[in-house]
Amino acid sequence: MRANYVLSGVTTGLRRNITMTVAMVLTTAISLALLGSGLLLFQKVNDMKEYFYFRVEVSIFLKKDITQQQRDGLRAELERDPLVQSLKYESKDEAYRRFREQFKDSPDLINNVRTNALPESFRVKLKDPAKYTLAAEKYVNAEGVDQVVDQRKILGKLFSIIGGIQTIAVVIAVVVLIASVLLIGNTIQVAAFNRRREIEIMKLVGASSWYVQLPFVLEAMVAGAIGAALAIGLLLAGKVAFVDGKLAALFSSGVIPTISYGDILGPSVAPLLLLIAVVLSAATAWVTLRFYVRV
Amino acid sequence: MRPHPPAAVDSGPVIRLDRVTKLYKASTRPALDDVTVVVDKGEFVFFIGASGSGKSTFIRLLLKEEPPTRGQISVAGRDLAKLSRWKVPQLRRSIGCVFQDFRLLTNKTVAENVGFALEVIGKQQSTIKKVVPEVLDLVGLDGKANRMPHELSGGEQQRVALARAFVNRPLVLLADEPTGNLDPDTSIEIMRLLDRINRTGTTVVMATHDATIVNSMRRRVVELDNGRIVRDQARGIYG
Repeated sequence: MRANYVLSGVTTGLRRNITMTVAMVLTTAISLALLGSGLLLFQKVNDMKEYFYFRVEVSIFLKKDITQQQRDGLRAELERDPLVQSLKYESKDEAYRRFREQFKDSPDLINNVRTNALPESFRVKLKDPAKYTLAAEKYVNAEGVDQVVDQRKILGKLFSIIGGIQTIAVVIAVVVLIASVLLIGNTIQVAAFNRRREIEIMKLVGASSWYVQLPFVLEAMVAGAIGAALAIGLLLAGKVAFVDGKLAALFSSGVIPTISYGDILGPSVAPLLLLIAVVLSAATAWVTLRFYVRV
Repeated sequence: MRPHPPAAVDSGPVIRLDRVTKLYKASTRPALDDVTVVVDKGEFVFFIGASGSGKSTFIRLLLKEEPPTRGQISVAGRDLAKLSRWKVPQLRRSIGCVFQDFRLLTNKTVAENVGFALEVIGKQQSTIKKVVPEVLDLVGLDGKANRMPHELSGGEQQRVALARAFVNRPLVLLADEPTGNLDPDTSIEIMRLLDRINRTGTTVVMATHDATIVNSMRRRVVELDNGRIVRDQARGIYG
């Protein structure tokens, strides 16, 4: 067995079929870049969830007519509660100050809210944020309590929007990936057709199927690897253009975790894309040839 | 690689067809119709008949390019029906083939074309370097090893094809109209070569409708007509 023959087959195959090869490499690159974005988004959403859920609080808003005795009683009860990790009291003044700070860009809103319009509250951090319902039930009917709000619910909405974007990215990635699989199959068919004479002679002199098929499978794998490399390049370019460029302000606040080179090149994105590309092209080529280059 | 099965002994059938019928989907008339024939080791057999009489189908069936519709075929002691698809290459290594259109690789030299047959079955480069010149010498192409096929005459190209078919020392050589594209003088040279190959013990099966050649060789003749064997004669003529 000569590696020489196999390798020369790969390069001539790719060159002879240049337009198809380019189309195949580009669709592979685009689908993988989309898939990679989906993967990065997924990773970041998980990071964000961890970040926020660690910080979220349960707010127990107090009634306007709460008495000092009720307030003290509630505080004592919360301090004794095994569910509670930490406790902070926020007065009406503090609430107003925080409100002003949060909406400093919307003066109209601030002007419409009176200094004492915002309720005082206990900000409770739970040992286990998942036990929110238990805590809520316990305090919602306590004397002087107006309502209990879990910030997790608000975040949940945000995450479901991000999740939606992520799903769309993955769906598009899969659709384009199907297109690229079909293109790979077609390119391999054309390549096999171009070399039908050689294949016919190989079969005639008793070459094994894998000897006949290997150059085509390698050809597809090389094209797939180039596609994956391009996809990784696109992701890196996207990071430079958006994360470090136009949208830098969004990320610099630290609320949305930024995307680093390590995230893209790390084990769960770049190598995974490369693996998917190579395995998928090899499998597609092999399956196509099983139908097309029958011994 | 496994050695050839014990069918490679000096006598006994190399090819055996038992009531073989081949029907192509597109046609109502069978290409081969209830054909029974045995070719022994070392024989030289002409399969004659007009175009469409079933000669080429016969060769395709022997190579297991397709299965028969009915009947049993064995080549070199292998029952083709029982031969799994991944063992088909091994069958083909024991069969050498030449065709009317030579089927050479136009972008490879004479030596590379012949060596290709050894290369694809995994022979070492050192073996190829040794064996190819010997075979080129045998077919009378010594000195033309580095020519390209298009630089050669038709007769020379068919010699290259014969060298490629024979380089692997097959048990059987199948020749499908090997002189079909050649002038009479060149045809005679090719026939001499086939005869020489036959004398090394290789069974030769040749499909042809060249009456002159058949008559001059006086070998066994099997005549096909509309897929049926109508004559099987030792030392026959085209008739």
